[in-house]
Amino acid sequence: MSRDHQATIRFMLNGEPTECTCPPDMRVIDLLREAMGLTGTKEGCGTGECGACTILLDGIPRLSCLMVAAQLHERRIETVEGIERSAEGRKLVDAFVEHGAVQCGFCTPAMEMTALALLRSRNPLDRKAIRAALSGNLCRCTGYVKIVDAVERAAAEPLS
Amino acid sequence: MDEPIRLHRPIPRNDARPKACGREVYAVDRYPNNALLAGALRCGVAAGRIRDIDIRQASAVPGVFRILTASDVPGSNRQGIIHKDMPVLCENIVRYCGDPVALVLAESSESLQQALSRIQIDIEPLPAVCSLEQALASGASLVHDDRPGNLLAHALIQKGDATTAFATCDAVVEGSFSTPVQDHAFLETESGIARMEEDGGLLMEVSTQSPFRDRFEIAHALGLDFQKIRIVAPALGGGFGGKDGATVQCLLALAALHSNGRWVRMHWSREEHFVAGYKRHACRMHYRLGAKADGTLVALDTRLWYDTGAYAHLGAEVMELGMEHAAGPYRIPNTRIEGWCVHTNQPVAGAMRAFGVCQVTFGIESMMDMLAERLKMDPLTLRIRNALCKGDENGAGVRLETSTGIRDCLERIQDHPLWRQRTEWKDAAPRFRRRGVGVVGVWNAAGYGGGVRDAAIAKIELLLDGTFLVHNAVSDMGQGNSCAFFQIAGHILNQDPGRIHVRQPDTRSAYPSGSSSAGRTTYTYGRALIEACERMKARLINRAGLILFLQDDDGLELEPGRVVHKPSGRKVPLKALAGLMQPEERVILSETVAPTCKNVPATATGFFIGFPHVIFAYGAHLVRIEIDERTGEITIVNYLAVTDGGRVLNPTMFEQQVQGGVAQGLGYALMEDLVVRDGRVLTQDFTTYLIPGSLDVPDIVSIAVEDHPEESGPFGMKGIGEVAMNGPLPAVANAVWDACGIRIRQGPITAERVWSEMP
Amino acid sequence: MRAIFIPESIEEALSIRNAYPQALWMAGGTDLLVQLRVRVHPEDDRPLILLERVASLARIDIHEDEICIGSCISFNQIASDPLLTAEVPVLTQAASTVGGPALRNMATIGGNVCTASPGGDSLPALYVLDASVELVSTSGTRRLPLSEFLTGPRKTALLPDELLTSIVIPRRRPLWTLQRYEKIGKRKALAIAVASMAAVIRTDAACGIVEEAHFAWGSVGPTVIRCPPAEEALIGRPLTQDALRSAAQIVPSWVHPIDDIRASAEYRRTVGPRLLLRLLDP
Repeated sequence: MSRDHQATIRFMLNGEPTECTCPPDMRVIDLLREAMGLTGTKEGCGTGECGACTILLDGIPRLSCLMVAAQLHERRIETVEGIERSAEGRKLVDAFVEHGAVQCGFCTPAMEMTALALLRSRNPLDRKAIRAALSGNLCRCTGYVKIVDAVERAAAEPLS
Repeated sequence: MDEPIRLHRPIPRNDARPKACGREVYAVDRYPNNALLAGALRCGVAAGRIRDIDIRQASAVPGVFRILTASDVPGSNRQGIIHKDMPVLCENIVRYCGDPVALVLAESSESLQQALSRIQIDIEPLPAVCSLEQALASGASLVHDDRPGNLLAHALIQKGDATTAFATCDAVVEGSFSTPVQDHAFLETESGIARMEEDGGLLMEVSTQSPFRDRFEIAHALGLDFQKIRIVAPALGGGFGGKDGATVQCLLALAALHSNGRWVRMHWSREEHFVAGYKRHACRMHYRLGAKADGTLVALDTRLWYDTGAYAHLGAEVMELGMEHAAGPYRIPNTRIEGWCVHTNQPVAGAMRAFGVCQVTFGIESMMDMLAERLKMDPLTLRIRNALCKGDENGAGVRLETSTGIRDCLERIQDHPLWRQRTEWKDAAPRFRRRGVGVVGVWNAAGYGGGVRDAAIAKIELLLDGTFLVHNAVSDMGQGNSCAFFQIAGHILNQDPGRIHVRQPDTRSAYPSGSSSAGRTTYTYGRALIEACERMKARLINRAGLILFLQDDDGLELEPGRVVHKPSGRKVPLKALAGLMQPEERVILSETVAPTCKNVPATATGFFIGFPHVIFAYGAHLVRIEIDERTGEITIVNYLAVTDGGRVLNPTMFEQQVQGGVAQGLGYALMEDLVVRDGRVLTQDFTTYLIPGSLDVPDIVSIAVEDHPEESGPFGMKGIGEVAMNGPLPAVANAVWDACGIRIRQGPITAERVWSEMP
Repeated sequence: MRAIFIPESIEEALSIRNAYPQALWMAGGTDLLVQLRVRVHPEDDRPLILLERVASLARIDIHEDEICIGSCISFNQIASDPLLTAEVPVLTQAASTVGGPALRNMATIGGNVCTASPGGDSLPALYVLDASVELVSTSGTRRLPLSEFLTGPRKTALLPDELLTSIVIPRRRPLWTLQRYEKIGKRKALAIAVASMAAVIRTDAACGIVEEAHFAWGSVGPTVIRCPPAEEALIGRPLTQDALRSAAQIVPSWVHPIDDIRASAEYRRTVGPRLLLRLLDP
């Protein structure tokens, strides 16, 4: 990468090869939301303290407010917009809907992305482990109980 | 055919799936093409006189479109819900660190930031009053010249004769308490977009709890015609009162007036939110409470000082609601409750969930435990003995003629294993740990209260495809009122989920229905919607009878997607009916005004509006905590909230409100504390202003007491959005006392406060 | 706009740095990008050199007598590494208390060391493990004990042309008997330490007498605080609550805490040392 004002960055986005041209130091959250129109990923603080901007990079939860666009090059990115593409993602969405885990919904996409990585890890999950895994995602509406319920149920259900 | 929607069942929220898939579009998600960005320069000092604002350097920054100052503001340049005292851009005096002095319009966020950093402001510092003590001191400088003594309001409630009655008490306890400034900390910070339309009107999409009132705010501040202002309020990423009242609205409108017809976008950063957003009032309280030896409450004397910050907002109303609740949900024949609402050069305190009430609940519920201790009585028994019943007069002298279930709530706690097995549990505390159990009774009024029209106009429309559209007029900030409307419409019209749509507020297509606040959204709009749906149902049956040439409407029933004549089995699809109806026939409007108190007691003086209230939600809470005696750290082990909200329309949403309120209350109890020093907010981010995470709150158990339906409420409900917020702070304080004999009188109850009180 | 460089080797990284002496190293970015969020000078366009794709910085190498943790190893990698968990649990415990899970996937141990915050979670653990840092420049490689590398709050001995490549921890045989990281935060996760403490203790296998002890405290002074007399006070005694209490009583005069938004100096001075009393908690 060089000192060019614009960089061409190629990555897999929700399973699709994607190329975009943007300043390489653009925050990933701005690239997704503003440049690409993927507004499901939210910004709650801009300093990595609320977790609302969590996306998956090569399957691992990361904070898109503390990443620059150049970091995406040749990586695999997943955002909430692709969540229904996988059976695990659909299961998680269904569980969030059915178990009342959604209120204002602003933390929801990132909660789900964090939970998606957790479900895929196939580690045995009790409520304590789920709470620990979600401990970087702040929610101001729910008191977390129903979010933990939803992840617990999704983890317990076999994939359809 | 899908199952019709039913009330009183835990159906999934209609907005859950779009939100869970990232498809819901919030105001902050709107990025119009070619939009300008607007940003305000905040003065950064507690008090001062503006000598000069030099924008020359900033104007030269590439990408800067316009820089506006007070002289560019047409109209009164004043906003405020009741008192118009808050400038859109300050002319010469600044009263707190977040006061805006200039507004930059720029092509990019980089240009915006550069320009903001290059505006030279020359402010002569003025003496500031940064606490209640300073503001009330004799000779204190005035925040507003026309408010002597820095008093926004001073009011009194007197019932019976408290002064004399104390002499008849067998036990009197006394205490002073204080509560911190709390921030709403919704995850979507203040944001919106706006532009001038070709017809000269202003269009704004904004994260707001009060779209209809916003038109008046903007019109008044900027000298516009409110009828030419259209506000669209999409789903909010949280509100809790902090988006009730103008945040970005007037600044955005001002920017739009100067953007040559281009869209303007404004989105406060988290830091700007902490500096310039509205807050919960800090409060100081002094309490005296007296009782007979058997625990019967006799007299209460309370003095309350609310720090309302630099501008009025709803400060007086917040204090008055606190005063109305200062005696708790108990029968006290003699009360004297005096309140002062005080201006300081602090951030503006306004509306926040359970406004005014969660402060006094800390006071009265601490006092109840202190009294129980004095009387050697069980604290729960003391509360049950004095709990308000229907027909009683509350502490403000209002006779309760509506649903009153506090006693049942307290008795449920008494029967619960978390209470009954408390001694065994406490005795099993590990080494270096102490365990305690705290209980409280809580209540919270619903609705605007006396003197304010609490009304709604519902609108339901049969669309041409045979489905229904509810035009919601009260914002959904996450509490789920739009799902309640979805359920009410589906239930009455007997339709399945796919046939009911809800549109979020748009002042062009919906009708004024008040703000999303005060536990009134489902109650007030729901009352209007019930009638609209009933009339829609009757009209559709009537029109179907017309088409089927029936002599009357007997035997016709509305089913999902059609009207059926049961005796003959003949059907008319709603789509066909819709096609035959004129546009005005397919719309029903219905209006309601909430009931008011007909016998206002002569107990209150100094109240402007908002007294008294007639409907209250009630609750009883229990908390179990464990304290590390080495460090004072508190762990919340169990939390039980029993709530009387009348009949429950949706058990899942009911639990959401209770659990969410308790969690926000636990933040208030344990960690939330907005600190301002020398006119600077020291807690401007989530590393210094802490809210609870998933490991800080337990599995909050919610039990609904449904034995007291509210006759005036939709299907027996009453609003419970606020009441749960009141419990945690006093409950934790009482549990700390139970665990180690320390009476914490100042919130939040941090490890350090516990440690510093430890013997 | 800033230029971004993404070198794939240490040599490439150093040559970019030589070409752009003002450039900033970025490991996980979780501290740096927060600092740059509010630009001190709007014109600041110092380039960033991202180290995340330098393979040799993203390895944990186990040698006979030492463990080398690449500076770009994330806290989550540390916390979930089986060998580190078995051999240096004081470090893996500390790693698992940093921020929240997503942040731990980004924040690196090298970044934590170079940020040199008085509350950096890994620092007390690395102190008690006698860790050193390896610093590489075009002119060579040098090692410094961590205690010499950290020179003050947010100050290190890193030279302008140097890159911190790894954290080196000597391996102990036999292992420490007890290793523990304790932290007081203002909430249960996403919390900056109000006070923290790392402790490693070796006791005699037969009679449980303490033979060696290292303690280090975070957030109670400008940098990590050690207290040799407290360590010595335990030597030769069985590891009991009484022994720990008497050791803890020595510590307050050794710490230099400050008042800040999170806690008072007095609180830190009192409860920091008391974290020793948690060593026998289950």
